[in-house]
Amino acid sequence: MDLLLGIGRFLLATMLLLLLTVPTAFVVIQMELKVIAQMQLRYGPNRIGPWGMFQSTIHGFKFLAKEDHMPDQADRATFTLAPWMVYMAAAMSMLVMPFAPGAIAADFNIGIVYFFAVIGLSVVGLLIAGWASYNKYSLLGGLRSAAQMVSYEIPLTLSVVGVVVLGGTLNFRELIGWQQAHGWMLLWQPVGLGIFYIASLAEINRTPFDMVEADSELVAGPFTEYSGMRFGFFFFAEYVALFIMSGIMAALFFGGWLAPWPFPAQLDGFGGTLYGLFWFFLKSYLFVFLAVWLRATLPRVRVDQLMGMAWKVLLPLAMLNLLVTAGVVVWLNL
Amino acid sequence: MRIPGLGILKGMRQTGRNFWAPKVTNQYPESRPTMPDRWRGRLDLIYDPFGEHKCEVCFQCAQVCPVEAIDMSGFDSQGNRVRYGMQEIYDERKDPNAYRRAGLPAEPMRNAGRWEDEIDGSWLRVVIDGFGGRAEALVAIFSAVQERYGYLPERALRLISDTMTIHWAQVFGAAGLGGFRLLPAEGHLVTVCTCAACSFAGGESLLAALTDELGIRVGETTDDGAWSLETSDQVAAGAIAPAVRIDTMVYGPLTAEQARHLLAERRKRQARAAARAGRVS
Repeated sequence: MDLLLGIGRFLLATMLLLLLTVPTAFVVIQMELKVIAQMQLRYGPNRIGPWGMFQSTIHGFKFLAKEDHMPDQADRATFTLAPWMVYMAAAMSMLVMPFAPGAIAADFNIGIVYFFAVIGLSVVGLLIAGWASYNKYSLLGGLRSAAQMVSYEIPLTLSVVGVVVLGGTLNFRELIGWQQAHGWMLLWQPVGLGIFYIASLAEINRTPFDMVEADSELVAGPFTEYSGMRFGFFFFAEYVALFIMSGIMAALFFGGWLAPWPFPAQLDGFGGTLYGLFWFFLKSYLFVFLAVWLRATLPRVRVDQLMGMAWKVLLPLAMLNLLVTAGVVVWLNL
Repeated sequence: MRIPGLGILKGMRQTGRNFWAPKVTNQYPESRPTMPDRWRGRLDLIYDPFGEHKCEVCFQCAQVCPVEAIDMSGFDSQGNRVRYGMQEIYDERKDPNAYRRAGLPAEPMRNAGRWEDEIDGSWLRVVIDGFGGRAEALVAIFSAVQERYGYLPERALRLISDTMTIHWAQVFGAAGLGGFRLLPAEGHLVTVCTCAACSFAGGESLLAALTDELGIRVGETTDDGAWSLETSDQVAAGAIAPAVRIDTMVYGPLTAEQARHLLAERRKRQARAAARAGRVS
């Protein structure tokens, strides 16, 4: 009975999360369209729906209506599989997202490890997308994405190891509990936060590190040969990943669902879940906004600058941060 | 001292400001700017289905333009340089019309001194009065002027425009029709009509005969400056095709032989006139 209940609960949760990714992508894309427009002194989309609210939704449905083209020489199996891999990497990592107390789909003890393992899968999807397309731009884009994401995963993970060492847990719920007791991780790990933010932008291919797409050099990177809903999946995955990275940053460094100082940090019962959801989404979307803001401001870095940044700056800094954190933890017996 | 990341913050401050800044884009179909009453939109040349300008440089638009803003010269639909385009000089924009447009007292003939040509103004006024100052007589007046000066001096045209109160564009445009010259030229202008009617009736053999007789090609002048040859499709003599115009006089229909004869006659008469002039002086 318990097992059946567990399976049912799991299916419900995964279904809800999978369904959640679509409106999330719509909201994030709409934010991107509108915010960047405002920052470029334009109105942005303002035709479809009130204040142009449904522009991104229409974009999404437009993808469904488009012809699904596949190059003659493409490898059919992998070409079809690649969008799914990228999308599922993003959607599956939402399984451990701590939305609110009592609203974690799978609250298991190695949530952080699981998260970084699964989000790293998207690089495989991009790589096989580039290879299967039978297009040199795609292949170059895929190789670049592999190089970039593998490089940035190291400082990204190392910066989180500092957090884990300090919090003494790999479980998101317990980590947030630790933050409630000791103050947000932001105060303890400012260097880790900086490294994590930069590396996470690179990990999800956001400007200024969107080398994978690099329109001016690689047409559209691994997505060049994709059209219709297959491209739509890549596109959605990118924006869902942006939301997920923002959410994870909120959970790791900004107390997750905890409310900031003047408000009560947590409430009990179902109201507490809604309260937590509110703060979690507020924080997540603030970081989404920050990423969009950065995109409106910064140009793309060069590919050698990108790799140099990962290996020469972020990696040593992350190592040092980890060393100091571990040393202090041992020394003070935290 | 360089602080890493400061430039990024500066850039983000700029974009952040822009985010809140009011947007000034005109939402066109919904909100339209109010135009002045006399607004007529943008002047544009229309193209025919073959991609050519429909404009034939006929000056009709210039004639109806209420503020006399149009002034032109160019190539007509047959590819001929349209000769009523005097070289436009920027200063010409300051002509009396421009003053009138600006609501300032007009100073007629402001630029008169720029041209060497002196004309007999009182004589011209007598001519104009002789025709009763009617606009229909414009071509006849031009003929009289060209008879006397050999071409239509700009000062004369300006005087006609001012005296008869006809738009400058209209006077200038009319001067472009049929055989009038706008620049002083030695000798006589022979114009062979190349309109469809004349071409079918043998205009080309006529042109060949005249080219042969004068020893020059189209657009050239003989070495002694007595004869110039050109072609036009505006001799406007369909009933007597093929036609040739010598100065303002139109002859036709002509065969090649008759054309040679005509030219010889004109040369003989000229020689006699020159000899007489020599004796008198």
